Amino acid sequence: MSATERTGLPKKGASAPLIQVFEPHKAKLPPLLPYIREFWERRAFALELARFADKAEYLESKLGKAWLILNPLFLSLIYFLLVTVLRGGANKNTGLSTLAHILIGIFMFYFAQNIISDGAQSITAGGRLILNQAFPRVLLPFSSSVRAFGQFWPTIPTYFAVVLIGKLFYPKTQIPLANLNYLWAPLIIAALAITAFGLSLIFAVMNVYFRDTSKLLTYTTRIWLYGSPVLWQPEMLHGWHRAFLYINPLGPTLAATYHVWIDGVRPSGAELVGMALWLVLAMLLGGYFFTSRERDFAVRI
Amino acid sequence: MSTTPPAKQEGLIRLGSKPASTKLLTVKGAHGDILLPDDLAIRIEKLSITYKINVDTKKTLKNAVMRASKGEKVRMRTVEAVKNISLDIPHGSVVGIVGANGAGKSTLMRSIAGIMPPTSGRIIVNGKISTLLALGVGFNPSLSGRDNIILGGLAAGLSRDEIESKTDEIAAFADLPDGFIDMPVRTYSSGMYGRVAFAVSVSMTPDILLLDEALSAGDAAFKEKSFLRMRELVQEARTIVIVSHALATISDLCDTAIWMHKGSILAYGKPEKIVEKYLKFLEVGTLPSNLEDM
Repeated sequence: MSATERTGLPKKGASAPLIQVFEPHKAKLPPLLPYIREFWERRAFALELARFADKAEYLESKLGKAWLILNPLFLSLIYFLLVTVLRGGANKNTGLSTLAHILIGIFMFYFAQNIISDGAQSITAGGRLILNQAFPRVLLPFSSSVRAFGQFWPTIPTYFAVVLIGKLFYPKTQIPLANLNYLWAPLIIAALAITAFGLSLIFAVMNVYFRDTSKLLTYTTRIWLYGSPVLWQPEMLHGWHRAFLYINPLGPTLAATYHVWIDGVRPSGAELVGMALWLVLAMLLGGYFFTSRERDFAVRI
Repeated sequence: MSTTPPAKQEGLIRLGSKPASTKLLTVKGAHGDILLPDDLAIRIEKLSITYKINVDTKKTLKNAVMRASKGEKVRMRTVEAVKNISLDIPHGSVVGIVGANGAGKSTLMRSIAGIMPPTSGRIIVNGKISTLLALGVGFNPSLSGRDNIILGGLAAGLSRDEIESKTDEIAAFADLPDGFIDMPVRTYSSGMYGRVAFAVSVSMTPDILLLDEALSAGDAAFKEKSFLRMRELVQEARTIVIVSHALATISDLCDTAIWMHKGSILAYGKPEKIVEKYLKFLEVGTLPSNLEDM
């Protein structure tokens, strides 16, 4: 077949031709609007990648997705035993409060931890995709966040089930089961997810340049857990020590979690401001750091 | 659309025999408007791609801290993968790229696809691109062939509806034994795996298709089927760029060929002539005398 037999141009009636210009790119942001548009158009890829990764992981496990609940539940029970032993035992009423606090704290913290650690590895783990397909790279850590949310949400009914059963045995406990302040919960969960996603973008880039970042994160997040109001209450910090709550990117969110879920009160103004500041800072820093370096990934992988 | 002819660029190679169209498209670049003849699928302007690789140690935080404490610097090697290439590829061309390992063929393909950024120069692509630079990109070995078709299609840029409507057609093209399409891909032979991956890639209808050593999937019968599918794509006036060490494929499918050597274009023209020159080079191991100075 000779070249003259072909029409030479895209056929009439086909969608308008897409013209792309690829130019040198250093530490400069890509054009943001086209980038966001492409991200939105290809969101189905990120969502399916998350769904299929979950399906593949639990395909050959007998208990399957039940592990998503059993794992943090067992972990919470272990921490509950440790905390009560260290305190020299628990009385009937505060025991259930402590358990409920550790449960919701661990569920929330592990949600953030999964977003951060899976997101950190998403670029290096997706090396073949990075080398062979052009798409906004932020879809990979986003997919990890979607997957982490899929693993997190079943723990909420689990929390209510544990509290409900606990209240049958210890009716005097103060933990609310239904409360108007629970309306703050979706906002707190969203703030936690967005902050963790912003942080995951920073760690994902670091992991491309330094491959042991993800290993280091395993230990860092353990220390981070102990430094967060999960195994202890935010009110245990007084005076200038309260600064520790606010220099921790997840501190204000986890303190607000405690107040809404355990005390049944609305988050304090300082917690709301802290949450908002960390959310904006993590997204701005993470977003800039990631998108300004993402075209470098193909030569670094 | 503008009709002002662009200034002729030094060293710009236009593939094919037709003269450039005088109708021009205006495209926004980082440093102002760019005028592009409307018959072009790909324009490459003075493209160079250079990257640095760490030749010393593993890329870890631990090593970075150790080096910093000793005041040592990282030993980097600069790789000039593509050197100052300028090329116009008109719509409907089927271009074959040959060259030894390390010639810069795959880097050039990745830069056209927008995967690797230029170090200097520019690439303008007019049309929807599909790439088949490696087989099974996005595949998960624990999932079934059907699931992987969906995942591979989404990774390649198809919408969920598009890929779902094509799943049966792709499965039929891959021609797997009965029941295998719903079994985990890790139970497939390498030939079966390659057939599914190839079937996903050629199921799309892009304006520009970039293929890197992709026609080697499967057994002889499947290779024949792949070749026929490629011919169909050629007849549909798609622009295709093929990198292959299978020189017969280049001669049979392409209307133009490029020989790349150490990041530069050494020769271009009719595939038979380029393949003949390249074969002589492979036999003798030295460049033809008329190309040595290039």
